[in-house]
Amino acid sequence: MDFIHDNILTLVLFSPAAVALVLLFLPAEEKGLLRWTAFTGSLVPLALTLVLWFGFDASAEGFQFEIQALWYDAIGSSYHLGVDGISLAMVLLTTLLVPLAILASYSIDDKIKAYMILFLLLETGMLGVFLSLDLLIFFVFYEIGLVPMYFLINLWGSEKGERKLWGGMTVPARTYASFKFMVYTMGASLGLLLAIQMIGAVTGTFDLIELYEVWQTSDASLEVFGLGAATVRSIAFWAFVVAFALKVPVWPFHTWLPDAHTEAPTAGSMILAGVLLKLGAYGFIRLVIPLYPAESQTFAYALAFLATMAIVFGAFAAYGQRDFKRLVAYSSVNHMGFVVLGIAAAALAQGTEHATIAMNGAVLQMFNHGLSAAGMFFLVGVIYDRTHTRDLEAYGGLFALVPVYGGILIFTSMASLGLPGLNGFVSEFLVVRGAWPVLTGFTALSMLGLLFTGAYILKGIKSTLHGPLNTHWVGHLTEINKRELFVIAPLMVLMLWLGIWPAWLLSVINGAVSALFG
Amino acid sequence: MIPLSWYLILAAGLFCLGLYGVLARKNAVAILMGIELMLNAVNINLVAFWRYQEPLDVAGQVFAIMVFAVSAAEVAVGLALVISLYRRRRSVVAENMDLLRW
Amino acid sequence: MQTETLIWLIPLPPLVAFTLIVLVTNKNRALSHTLGVGAAFLSWLGAIVVFARAIGEGFHHLGEAPFASAFNWLPLGDSFLQIGVRIDPLSAVTLFFVGWTVLMITLYSIGYQNFGAPKGDHDRPGLPPHGATVTDDHGHKHTVPSVEPNYSRFFAFLGLFAFGMYVLVVSDNLLTLFVGWEIMGLCSYLLIGFWYARESARAAAIKAFMTTRVGDVFMLLGLVYLYSEAGSLSYHVIFSPEVLERLAHDPAVGGLLGLTAAGLIGILLFIGTVGKSAQFPLHVWLPDAMEGPTPVSAMIHAATMVSAGVYMVIRIFPILSAGSDHGQMTAAMTVLAVIGAFTALFSATIALAQNDIKRVLAYSTISQLGFMIAALGIGAYVAAAFHLMTHAFFKALLFLGSGSVIHGMEHGVLHTGDHDVDPQDMRNMGGLRTRMPVTFWTFLIGGFALAGFPLVTAGFWSKDEILADAWAHQHYTVFITLAVAALLTAFYTMRQITMTFLGEPRTEAARHAHETPWTMTLPLAVLAVFAIVAGWIGIPNDFLGLDLGEINFFHGVAYTLLPSGIEPPGITFHIIPLLTSIGVAGLGLYLGWLVYRGYTAGASDPLQKALGPVYKVLQNKYYFDELYDFLFVRPAKWISETFVYLWLDRGLIDGILHTLARIAYWLGGIFRNRLEMPIISEGADRLGDGVRDFGWLLRKSQTGNVQGYLNIGLVLVVVIGVVVVLLLN
Repeated sequence: MDFIHDNILTLVLFSPAAVALVLLFLPAEEKGLLRWTAFTGSLVPLALTLVLWFGFDASAEGFQFEIQALWYDAIGSSYHLGVDGISLAMVLLTTLLVPLAILASYSIDDKIKAYMILFLLLETGMLGVFLSLDLLIFFVFYEIGLVPMYFLINLWGSEKGERKLWGGMTVPARTYASFKFMVYTMGASLGLLLAIQMIGAVTGTFDLIELYEVWQTSDASLEVFGLGAATVRSIAFWAFVVAFALKVPVWPFHTWLPDAHTEAPTAGSMILAGVLLKLGAYGFIRLVIPLYPAESQTFAYALAFLATMAIVFGAFAAYGQRDFKRLVAYSSVNHMGFVVLGIAAAALAQGTEHATIAMNGAVLQMFNHGLSAAGMFFLVGVIYDRTHTRDLEAYGGLFALVPVYGGILIFTSMASLGLPGLNGFVSEFLVVRGAWPVLTGFTALSMLGLLFTGAYILKGIKSTLHGPLNTHWVGHLTEINKRELFVIAPLMVLMLWLGIWPAWLLSVINGAVSALFG
Repeated sequence: MIPLSWYLILAAGLFCLGLYGVLARKNAVAILMGIELMLNAVNINLVAFWRYQEPLDVAGQVFAIMVFAVSAAEVAVGLALVISLYRRRRSVVAENMDLLRW
Repeated sequence: MQTETLIWLIPLPPLVAFTLIVLVTNKNRALSHTLGVGAAFLSWLGAIVVFARAIGEGFHHLGEAPFASAFNWLPLGDSFLQIGVRIDPLSAVTLFFVGWTVLMITLYSIGYQNFGAPKGDHDRPGLPPHGATVTDDHGHKHTVPSVEPNYSRFFAFLGLFAFGMYVLVVSDNLLTLFVGWEIMGLCSYLLIGFWYARESARAAAIKAFMTTRVGDVFMLLGLVYLYSEAGSLSYHVIFSPEVLERLAHDPAVGGLLGLTAAGLIGILLFIGTVGKSAQFPLHVWLPDAMEGPTPVSAMIHAATMVSAGVYMVIRIFPILSAGSDHGQMTAAMTVLAVIGAFTALFSATIALAQNDIKRVLAYSTISQLGFMIAALGIGAYVAAAFHLMTHAFFKALLFLGSGSVIHGMEHGVLHTGDHDVDPQDMRNMGGLRTRMPVTFWTFLIGGFALAGFPLVTAGFWSKDEILADAWAHQHYTVFITLAVAALLTAFYTMRQITMTFLGEPRTEAARHAHETPWTMTLPLAVLAVFAIVAGWIGIPNDFLGLDLGEINFFHGVAYTLLPSGIEPPGITFHIIPLLTSIGVAGLGLYLGWLVYRGYTAGASDPLQKALGPVYKVLQNKYYFDELYDFLFVRPAKWISETFVYLWLDRGLIDGILHTLARIAYWLGGIFRNRLEMPIISEGADRLGDGVRDFGWLLRKSQTGNVQGYLNIGLVLVVVIGVVVVLLLN
């Protein structure tokens, strides 16, 4: 027991990889065995996270369960893990969503072994980002997550669809999407890598906790190429911002998202929307604002502008879709816009209650969006599995055929819409509350996005469930099955629970947020 | 006593005869016989050098005996090959044997 | 049980019913409606008990020390956001009429959705029942109404709706009020779209949700603004004199329009009400909401949702009026008065030209809500609350009555088999008085209450109080506008009654209309009682200059909003508003009867001749739907589909990305075609080719002829030997 307690973060981090290793030695044709091993294996990190959750002291400041071991002594990087309330919430979200996503991918029949292994490696990559307290480790895990996702989209993505490029060139849509995702993200993290290396070179350490203290005061050594310390810091700041903004994604870096989400397999979309997007926002919270408090305050208006654009244009673009999955994908742009708006408000109003409230809202919104977006993508996947189309115009009146599915879809849609009583409302309310006093104009403008959130959610429901029954599906469309119910039920319970009693999560987040920004 | 050079001249002549046989004869059996002549010329050299240079050492004789053994084996294999070729091609003319041609 | 505990429990039974029906009993109709009605009954019981205890406390005392309990909900930084429940005079009264109407509506739904009727021949979920064919004992085939396919679901939604309303009423803060508000919004969406397979219902549901959401996002801004200014959303904090004082003096954020903070917050919150209570210019959703089953219309239009909007405005009246001394109107109040009075008149005119029995009522609802808003605008919040309550009773009665009429007509339609007859169109009715007596008498009471039939009906007293207030505070424009609106109200109400019930049946269907079962008529009777007596509690103490003592018990609601120790201001009796009330009601009713008594089947509407082209404008609701479609809906579609998605995202942003990719591609091409291919690759190829050619050359020597090789060997040995010898020398 002591061993588990002392090394819990390492165990959480690497248990998915260990399960992946086990899968490697199982025969590839034993599909059932592979699926169940992957699923039960992915419950291990969840169980460990629950141990972590109950062992976590929400009232204590700073990081807990820290582990530090020498890794790369020569450049001052170490294997340093730790959790605070913010990362704990994200770890919980990740370990919760992965088993559900694996359960959701039982419908995949092709190359299961490779699929499951990649999925579990992806989990390790994501957890690593949330857990690491060392810039280099952070970056390593940040990039590790890309590779499995690339393959998940490229190999198991939707088989239909083509994308026209210039000069009459067409490529399969999933190739296009995976490529765009990979190259775009890699390109943006190039700047991040350079900035991280510069920080390391200037301060001699990559350790976050040390950096929080020394980085701000290391002005003298920052003068590179004859540029002043302030300029260098600004450049590094923007390198960080662009990398994370792309991942969130913030308008106008968002166009990879609809493509990637649309083409990815259902479970891939669930994880992509549920967790991977959070890496960007988490980067803002964990790195950008603490490391560059002054710069982020200066540029908060720019960030808020982009966030508002994401909220408004994301909602508009979602409303303009005919493809159900793309509609849901754009809703992520819209919702993550609120996270960034909260972050911008917190950056601007550092040290005030507005900052605390906005940041609480932003982190909670990350969690909530993880639940509702995963749920929505899953539900789109359920209907796609049966109809093999995502075209909204091809559905119609399906409520009569699949009442249970319909009820679940309405519930999840409402959570996504931010209906009070469900989870999305609490976080959006807090973000808006935190942002209003400091970013009044942007907040008011973002309400347009909130309005159109309603429009696109209702459009989705209208086209699928309501209206005259499209008799084409009678007899073909079967009700949601038990396994699928088992995937969506935990999400629904959490959505409701967080809507009614968000304090269980918020008290954990609040402790960390107050310490960092209050 | 006959000087060493006589033996050597004899051996050289014999070798040349053998060489001529190997290079010029068309019959594969004759080529084999030429090889035998060349080997025996060498044997004469070996024995002659032993007798005139190191009579106390048996190395020269041993070499000669080894050459006998090897040439006997070689003839056995060579003749077998020739017979096998003859069976396939009804010919033992060396010029026609171009299996290893490019 | 402790009152506070009881208050917490009031909203729960409908929620439990909703959950149970959805998860467990949705296959069993009887069990589902038992749960639904039982839950409504329990909540009603709780509401009545709480109301009785509130009365027992005395409104004066209750205003100062309301029943309240709260707990910490959200940890934020070092402080907490609290939520809780609170019953003060206003919420006690609201609870009372909500409890009654919800119970009656739920009970009514059993009959309305044809419980006990056979399953329809072609009924499908999502469409209204089409009727079933039954064979009686004599072998005759009859078409009779069939049971609603989604019967259980209806009660589930009603339960959730009731839960939302109860939450809204018992809340002690604007946040949970907003929660209840939005839950009702969802339910109205679900219920208006209850027959979701109909295009029109689907469109109406979305219209309702989106239009109210326009108001809701403004309200959300108002909430966060208020929250950030006051640091709380609980009534006892935000309505404390210190906070109000501060809000009244701080300028609005950004100095917007020269408003005070209180003014801006008030207006933002009020826009929420404009959406929810269907005030101009967000009124368009409400008439379309008639697509829902009739009990839903009653629920949305009378008892709960639209009332919620007015309830909220009464709640925040201290903020709206913050900074006003002695009845002077603040900017926010002016906005209310203008919008309210305009809406009252505007929608009354539309109601004149509608032929759908429910649409007339829908526009009358908008109009009556306009009365309340206008009353609040001129500061007559007690009158507004009074009218809110009486209106809830008589409008619920009218809607349920109209549902009963429609139900009876549908019976006739099924009986005659003439499906072209629209059972909701008043032109197809007439003479129902004898065929549906209970419905007729109760509808008459409701209609007279709406018209403000003098001295007897509830509507008279509440409307009169609004007019009296307007007169007493010299708001003559409002007074005249409302008086005209009241005249029109009486006129179209009588038009409706005449066309529906009086005269002779104009169609076969109307001739075969049938009285509805007791589950429908009983609620009508109960509500009819309230449509009369509910007004008596608000009779002015000095009516006609008499001293009636403390007869006006309703005035105590004012203690809700007043800081402790201040007596609510009374208005002295004045004869002119009274005469106006009586006059407009009487005149309107008389004219309505006069004009429409001779209306015959197929004739054009008498008003059409009188008004000419104006009639067409009224019939088309001033073309607001078309206007909004042109101004908002189409541009929104264009912006979404074309501008944002195709132009911005696919065109501009992806265009830039693709250009970058193209540049990379082009650069790669350059490297490939200019460097890689010609130099590196080509060079290597040449080298390879050379080696290959040389090899070709050399292999000619491989003749396979042993003697040839040996000859070459001999020559080489000789040559090398010669060279070696020469070199050595």
